[in-house]
Amino acid sequence: MLRRIRIDNFKCLVDFDLSFDSINLFIGNNGAGKSTVFDVLRRLQTFILGYSKVSGVFPNYSCTRWQNISTQFFELYIEGNDGKYIYSLWIEHNSQQSYIRQEKIFFDNQPLIDFNMGKVEVFDDSHKSIFNYVFDSSQSILPLLSPSDNNRKLTWFKKRIERFINVKIAPNQMYGLSEQPQTFLSPFMENYSSWYRYISQDQGKIVELMNCLKEILDGFISFKFDSFSENRLVLTLRFVKEQNENNIITYTFDEISDGEKVLIGLYTLLYCTKSEDYTLCIDEPENFLALPEIQPWLVSLFDFCNEGKIQAVLISHHPELINYLASYSGYWFERNGNAPTKVRKILDTDIDETGLPISELVARGWLYEPA
Amino acid sequence: MSQRRIQLTILCEDQQQEVFARYFLIKRGFKPEKIRSRICSKGSQAAEQYVRVEYPKEVKSYRTKAKKSLKGLVVLIDADTKSPNQILQNLNNALIDSSQERRQPNEAIAIFIPKRNIETWIHYLQGESVDEETEFSKFTKNESACKTCVEKLANQCSQGDLDPQAPLSLTTACGELQRILRLRD
Repeated sequence: MLRRIRIDNFKCLVDFDLSFDSINLFIGNNGAGKSTVFDVLRRLQTFILGYSKVSGVFPNYSCTRWQNISTQFFELYIEGNDGKYIYSLWIEHNSQQSYIRQEKIFFDNQPLIDFNMGKVEVFDDSHKSIFNYVFDSSQSILPLLSPSDNNRKLTWFKKRIERFINVKIAPNQMYGLSEQPQTFLSPFMENYSSWYRYISQDQGKIVELMNCLKEILDGFISFKFDSFSENRLVLTLRFVKEQNENNIITYTFDEISDGEKVLIGLYTLLYCTKSEDYTLCIDEPENFLALPEIQPWLVSLFDFCNEGKIQAVLISHHPELINYLASYSGYWFERNGNAPTKVRKILDTDIDETGLPISELVARGWLYEPA
Repeated sequence: MSQRRIQLTILCEDQQQEVFARYFLIKRGFKPEKIRSRICSKGSQAAEQYVRVEYPKEVKSYRTKAKKSLKGLVVLIDADTKSPNQILQNLNNALIDSSQERRQPNEAIAIFIPKRNIETWIHYLQGESVDEETEFSKFTKNESACKTCVEKLANQCSQGDLDPQAPLSLTTACGELQRILRLRD
């Protein structure tokens, strides 16, 4: 589980420090920095998994605009594998280039990687130094380490980073066509059908998902991939007409409504990632959903998180989410003008006794109103 | 297309009560997608007041809407240091203050009043020795921990073999349940 993140000198995040629970709700005004935290998580994942070099992921213009500081700092605290990982990254920018000043990983305060100004030292699982060499300062060392019997802790960490799903669902960009199964879900869930092909290898989870969707979508029976052309499949949904099992109507995924796509996407996230130590970061999950659909999904998510099956970080402006979660696990983000983001955990004691729901306090600008 | 119609509304003070009640109702045969929860989103001091203020509104909407199709209301409110009868009386008074009739025996309105609070029931169901005066520890951020024992309670309730040593407020709650059981599909 992601336990804590520290960020310094990235856009509006300066000396930013935030702890996480199993379920977390970010609320606050537009431009307060909520999505920027998701942005950092996505960039760190891209960087650690080796999909881009440092200048591509953290260009110098991502430094906080009103500061004149050339160093960026990021730190993740991740709990799991019976211990605690700390991943730290310092990036230096100058007029010619951006490079890694330090990249370090500790497990229970013992080093696994110490990459410092171009020199890297790698430690085995018992924290004995096994390599010491000069390395290119433009990229993470982690993608280059192949799994072996003596680096299981590092391998676990990389796998855990893969299990961050970070989405803002855009149903008009979700297509039914798939060329091949894809391990990663794209930021707007555009590649839903290809990702579904990958996760549907776990039949147990698919059965659960199908049963859940049958309760939600009238007459729904199942998904099916039809051949579209050579190497390309199209995701279809099969519905039964008037309870007659012999009367099947098929729609392609592209034909269903935006709201239905989002519903399917949200429940797939729940049922296909649970019990596998995933962190789901979902920006405004309620978008496109009909009002009666929001709480049932949220309650299912709450249960999975509370039972330790998933970790979730949500951003929302919706009263349904705010009133259900804010006093339980909410974080209030705020920014005044060109000042850094401030965040505070919403406590019972912070909420006054006006008798208004929290969403109404937020709507009126009365939550944490300056004195 | 989805056709959600809420059948049971849970009105309660906090997340722990909500998880307990929802899971219990599901185990007693209610469909999860037909349950909607309204939890106090404010500080704990205001929780009891929240339920008392919202109760007449929920009863009014129940009385209006239950004519069309089977609907029910489940209320959870801790007795704390008061007696369950006092709490029940307060809720009835809230109805009278809003120009409504008291709760009628044939209405699918079930009121569960744990004494001292919901944690008393959970600790009891987990096998601990409890009384209804002591304040027992909360399961903060681990509200789902009650699920195993809630399942046990649901089985006991359905078979009518609740332990005679169970807290009185829990035994009373099992009786309240009869008001809504007919709503199950």
